[in-house]
Amino acid sequence: MEKVECIVVGGGLAGLSAAYGLAGAGAEVMVLERGDYAGAKNVTGGRLYVSPIRGFYPELWEEAPFERPVARELITMMGDGAHTTFELASDHLVAGPPQSYTVVRARLDQWLAEKVGEKGGMVVPGMKVDELLRKDGRIVGIRAGEDEIGADVVVVAEGVLRLLAEPAGLAARPDEKDHALGYKEVIELPAGVIEDRWNLNPGEGAAQLFLGTVTDGMMGGGFLYTNKESISLGVVVGMHAMKADGREIESHQLLERFKELPQIKPLVAGGTVAEYSAHAIPEGGIAKVPRLYGDGYVLAGDAAGLSLNALVTVRGMDFAIASGYHAAQAMLRAKAAGDFSAAGLASYEAALRDSFVLKDLETARAYPQFMEVPRLFRQYPTAVSRLFEDVFTVGPGPTPPLVKKAWRGVKRDFLRPSTLQDAWLARKL
Amino acid sequence: MDIVVCVKTNPDPQMVRIKDREPVIEAVPFKLGDLDKNALETAIQVRDAAGGKVVALTVAETNRKIKETIKDALAMGADEAVIVDDPAAATLDQAGVATVIAAAVKKLPACDLLLFGEGSSDNYTGQVPSRVAEKLGVPQVGYARKVEAAGDAVRCERSMDEMIETLELPLPAAVTVVSEINEPRIPSLMHIMKAGSKPTQVWSLADIGLDAGALAPKQEVLSNLAEEQDRKHIVFEGTVAEQAEAFVNALVKEGVVGR
Repeated sequence: MEKVECIVVGGGLAGLSAAYGLAGAGAEVMVLERGDYAGAKNVTGGRLYVSPIRGFYPELWEEAPFERPVARELITMMGDGAHTTFELASDHLVAGPPQSYTVVRARLDQWLAEKVGEKGGMVVPGMKVDELLRKDGRIVGIRAGEDEIGADVVVVAEGVLRLLAEPAGLAARPDEKDHALGYKEVIELPAGVIEDRWNLNPGEGAAQLFLGTVTDGMMGGGFLYTNKESISLGVVVGMHAMKADGREIESHQLLERFKELPQIKPLVAGGTVAEYSAHAIPEGGIAKVPRLYGDGYVLAGDAAGLSLNALVTVRGMDFAIASGYHAAQAMLRAKAAGDFSAAGLASYEAALRDSFVLKDLETARAYPQFMEVPRLFRQYPTAVSRLFEDVFTVGPGPTPPLVKKAWRGVKRDFLRPSTLQDAWLARKL
Repeated sequence: MDIVVCVKTNPDPQMVRIKDREPVIEAVPFKLGDLDKNALETAIQVRDAAGGKVVALTVAETNRKIKETIKDALAMGADEAVIVDDPAAATLDQAGVATVIAAAVKKLPACDLLLFGEGSSDNYTGQVPSRVAEKLGVPQVGYARKVEAAGDAVRCERSMDEMIETLELPLPAAVTVVSEINEPRIPSLMHIMKAGSKPTQVWSLADIGLDAGALAPKQEVLSNLAEEQDRKHIVFEGTVAEQAEAFVNALVKEGVVGR
C-alpha cells in the first residue's frame, strides 16, 4: 500500500487549515476533496469571525479574499405584517482589524487550497473517499475507488454528514434533532446598490439575522450577508421542527416566501440569482461533539460537530479553521514523538479544550435546548413588533401615555407563566 | 509509436456564468478540454497496444495554474508533459498557436502521431489541427471515431453521412478525434499521486526558436455574441386538452418535435 504521512479527507476550511499547517511544517500531506474544487460542496453563506483565529496563520488573513468587513449588525424580529429591526453600527466592529468579514466560500476555499499547494501540500479535487481503513482497531488510511492509501494520521474533515466517520465508528450517526437545513441564494447586486440599501460606507458590509415568521414559527431563522457584489440570503430551519410540523409547506419554499415579504422584497429588488444551494448544519452543541481523536485519526470542523448557533452569533468557520490548526499542531507533535496512537494525538482535544472552540461551545451548552422553545420563533418576535407598533401608533382619538402603552403591551404578551418559564431557561444563556 | 497529444486548458464551461452578456471566469477552475481528453485516451490506448510514449503538449494562455491542470493529463496516463508558457501566448490567434505547436513538435525528439480533439471546449474554432498539419507537412484526418496503429501507418475510421470511411495514413500524421471515439478514463488516486513525479518541461517561445513579435494576431475578434432572439410570447387558451393540443401543434410547426 502506498503511504503518505497525512491524509486529509475534505477540502473545506477545517481540512485545508490542517493541511496548510502540516505542509508549512514540511509534513507530507494530501487533501482529498469530493467536489470539483475546494469549496464546491460548501454552502455557508457566510460570515467568518476572524478575531478568534487571527493568531493562527497570521500571514494568511492579511491577503485572504474576504468580501466585506461587517460594520453593521442587524437583528430583525418578524411578526405577521410587522418587523422590528435592531441595528448596531459601531466603530468597534471595524476599527483596527475588523472582527468579522463576509465571505464567499467558493472563492475563499479555492484560495486556501492554492496556499496549501504553495506550501507543498497536495490537494486533489474530484476525489471521493469511499472508506476509512481500519486495522487492529486503528485508522490506517483510506480507500478511494480501487486505491488504498495508507497514512500515519487521517484528518477527518468530511463535513456534517459523517459519511465516513460514522461507518468507521468514529462518531455517531447524525440525528435530525441536532441538525438544521439551510437554503441559500446568492443574489447579485452592484456594490453601490448594496451600500445604499444597507447604509454602508464603501467596502463595508452588513450581517442581518431574522427570527420569527421567516420560518413560519419553526426553529430556525433567516440570514443575509452583503458580499462585494452580491448578497447571500437564506433560511435555516430545524429538521426536527420541519418534520414534526407536518404542514403543507416544504422547507425550500420558506426562502421563496421570505423573498416575497414586503419587508424583504425591496432589499433584493433588481438582483439576479446567481447560485442556489442547500446544506445540513450541525446544531447539537457541545453535548453532541464526539471524541475528537483516536488511534490514527482526528476529527475536525463540521464532522466534529463544531458549530454554534447562539441566536445573535452564528459560528462554524472560525471553529473549523481553529480545529484544523490544532489538528496540524497535534499531528506534528505526534510525528516528533513517533506516536500516532490516541495517546500521541490526545493533545489535539486538549488544545481545543483550552481554546475558544470548546470553551465557547461549553458556554453555549444551554442553547440547543433553549432553541426548542417554540415561542421563540413566533410569539416573541410578533410580540416585540406589536409592542413597538403600539408605541408608534397615533390614533384618531387621544393617545394614551407612552409608558402606559408600552406597559399594556408587556402585560399582554410577556407577563405570562410561559414567558417566565422561558426566562428561567434563558438564564443559562 | 511516439504520440504527441495537443491539449488546451480552459475555464470549466459548466462553472462559467454569463453576466451582462460576458462570461464571468473569475474563480472558475480550469480544466482540460473535453475532446482533448478523448484525444488523450486515444493516445494512451494506441500506446498501450503499440508501445511508445505519450507526450501531452499545451500552449499556456495566461493560466497561472497550468502546471496543476496539465497534471490531469499525466494522471490519465501521458508519460510526459511539455508546456509552452510565455506571456506572449496570451494574445495568440489560431495561426499563432499552430506556429507554436509546430515549432514545439519539431523540438521534441520524436513524433509519429499527433492527436487533437476536434475542437476546444471554449472557442471551438477547430482550426489549429489543420494548421499544424500543414506547417509540419504531414497528412491529417478529421472526425476520427476510431484510431489504431497499423505498422508504419495509422488506421482511422470516421463517420460520413451515409457510410463509414476507413483511411490509412503513413506516419507521421495528424488526427483529430470526436467524442464518440471513447470514454476518457477518470484517473485513480494512485495515478494522480504518481503524476506529480512525471517529467514536465516548460519552454518559452525563445526555447523553440520563435519570436513573439512575429506571432502577432492577424485577426481581431470584434464580437462573438450569439444573435439575440426574442421569445414568442404565445399564450394558449381554452381547456387543458385544447391548450395541450395547440401547444404540441405549435412545437411541431416550429420543428422542435415530430421531425
